[in-house]
Amino acid sequence: MKSKQLRKLLDAILVPVLAILSGLVVMGILIVILKKPLFESYAILFSKGFGCEEFGNCIFITALERATPLILTGLSAVVAFRSGMFSIGQEGQYLLGAAIAAYLGYAIHLPPILHPLVLMLAAMLVGAGYGWIPGILKVKLGVNELLATIMLNSIAALIIEYLVQFPMRGDRSTTAHSPVIDESAQLMSFLPGSKWGVGFVIAVLAVIVVYIYLWRTKAGYEQRMAGQSKRFALFGGIRSDSAAIRAMIISGALAGLAGAIEVMGVHRRIMTGFSVGLGFDGLTSAILGQTHPIGVFIVAILFSGLKLGAQLGLQLKLGIPRELGGTIIGFIILFVAAGRLYQDNISRVRDWLDRRSIRSVKGESR
Amino acid sequence: MEGFFSVFTVELLNSGIRLATPILLAALGGAICNQAGVLNLALESKMLLGAFVGILAAFYLGNSYGGLLVAMVAGGLLGLLFAFLYHKYKVDLVILAIAFNLIIVELTVFVMRAMFGNVGSWSDPSIVRIPDIEIPIIKDIPLLGPILSGYNLIVYFSWLVVIVMFIYLYRMRGGRHLRAVGENLSAAETVGINAILLQTLALVASGALAALGGAFLSIGHLKLFTRNMSNGRGWIAIAAAMFGVNHPIGVFLASLFFGFADAFSVRIQNVTDLPPNLVKLLPNLATLLVLIIIAMRSKIAISMARRRFRSQLHAEGTAAATEK
Repeated sequence: MKSKQLRKLLDAILVPVLAILSGLVVMGILIVILKKPLFESYAILFSKGFGCEEFGNCIFITALERATPLILTGLSAVVAFRSGMFSIGQEGQYLLGAAIAAYLGYAIHLPPILHPLVLMLAAMLVGAGYGWIPGILKVKLGVNELLATIMLNSIAALIIEYLVQFPMRGDRSTTAHSPVIDESAQLMSFLPGSKWGVGFVIAVLAVIVVYIYLWRTKAGYEQRMAGQSKRFALFGGIRSDSAAIRAMIISGALAGLAGAIEVMGVHRRIMTGFSVGLGFDGLTSAILGQTHPIGVFIVAILFSGLKLGAQLGLQLKLGIPRELGGTIIGFIILFVAAGRLYQDNISRVRDWLDRRSIRSVKGESR
Repeated sequence: MEGFFSVFTVELLNSGIRLATPILLAALGGAICNQAGVLNLALESKMLLGAFVGILAAFYLGNSYGGLLVAMVAGGLLGLLFAFLYHKYKVDLVILAIAFNLIIVELTVFVMRAMFGNVGSWSDPSIVRIPDIEIPIIKDIPLLGPILSGYNLIVYFSWLVVIVMFIYLYRMRGGRHLRAVGENLSAAETVGINAILLQTLALVASGALAALGGAFLSIGHLKLFTRNMSNGRGWIAIAAAMFGVNHPIGVFLASLFFGFADAFSVRIQNVTDLPPNLVKLLPNLATLLVLIIIAMRSKIAISMARRRFRSQLHAEGTAAATEK
């Protein structure tokens, strides 16, 4: 029984691990083409992404800080995918959540613990509302949710640009940004000089809550069944439509929460260029993490480390453009999608192993 | 009110047609893939690749038309890779498209920075923009002349593609086979149609067309390359293909609609003092609206078909009863 479970786990992580290794090989090829030192590059990538130069000044801590919104947008994508909705609207929901949090952060004044709670709640509501739009359009009219969410993402990005340039603009500096939020609304960080803090704990809690929701509650079961087979769910008496809308609302709330935490814990305001494709990265970590909350958690930290290593290590130390990080992540997704490439060969090896073990068992019985 | 009407001018029509061209080329590529039954969501990445490779080739060849050709070849090759991964390894087309979109966005900037230093956008004075052509007789027709004449070669080529694709799909054997594959793959294969070949051809053609649309942006319209230059036009093209029911003429009209929405928002920014970010929403809102219209249209079509089927059943039932 135990070995069966182990085998299932191995099956689940085998393709992502092989895909990551293949991605690193592609990275090596690109580095060789650029005529940069190959092994030094790998060493710098990992030491700058995951390493610890001295105690209390760990770059890994920064990777955890950067992973916080990624975990939440990744979870948001997981909840949507698991209901059969291919929503990539995390970016838009994240942005609008951030905008409302930044606004309420300076517009209303509340005592310390209450203020962050109100902001997070508001951001989750706004995100949920923005997730509900493509959900209802899909269920009632059959509007393609992928295209609808892409359009909603661009709309949200333009709304943010408008907000920081006009109604929410703090001062007349060269880059437009909103006023800093109240001290009472800011999230505490664990270490001085770092922004890794309470937000990460909330993200970890969200991982647990999403896991329990999807695999331990009736609503979550209904949602997963609706995602796997609409017809089966229908025969089982599950209303897959309302399950899909519920999933989109939860998904939007998670992405909105990510925006609020990014504002309260890291930037303390919103500014032009606030959107850096975090929603899209969340989507990719959901794909690579096998649409599983724990998978997302691991992959989000890995991604943040890779990007950080590419930015701080490869770009600053070796002059390799930091876009290498994003390129490699793209290739890793490609390799995950081409999982059959590995699986065919894996099953061939496994067949061979099985045949050998059967033969040896037969030999013993004889 | 005067300010509002001053928006509508011949220049608006001209820039609408120009801005429709990249969308039209990519949407035609999307339409032929839809007709062949392969969902091509990677138009955005193929456009961006075309924009980058096109300007790069124009620079090294010293010839912008050469740049267009190289861009088309690059897009076609990406389409071929797509077809290979899809047919050989059964890769999910949606995830494949997302992976390629990410790779191309990052890789183009990576290569640009590796070659030309740490820059946000790149151009070179030696690069020549594809020149506009005045058509001799047509340009002298009053009213129509200024609207139809004075674009560059890519614009006229895109119109030619509309006609050629219409003839191919609806008047030729190969096109009928292609549509049969999209309609019912296994039935088409049973009668001996090489479905994999036709789908591969559709993906290659689509890649070449989308890449040409991208090259229009970098060497036909502007004269530079910037990060994520296609800026969502590939996704709008997918909506345009759906809006035009994958028919070349329909796609042409749908693309014009999106081109005008784009030109309109640019023009409003120039003549009014509305906040530019809000006006830029127009094309996106138009696309969302179109998606809703498409969905409602197909919903109505389904309910009509159901009603027709029911009334047929009813008619047959009464006919059978009277025979008895």
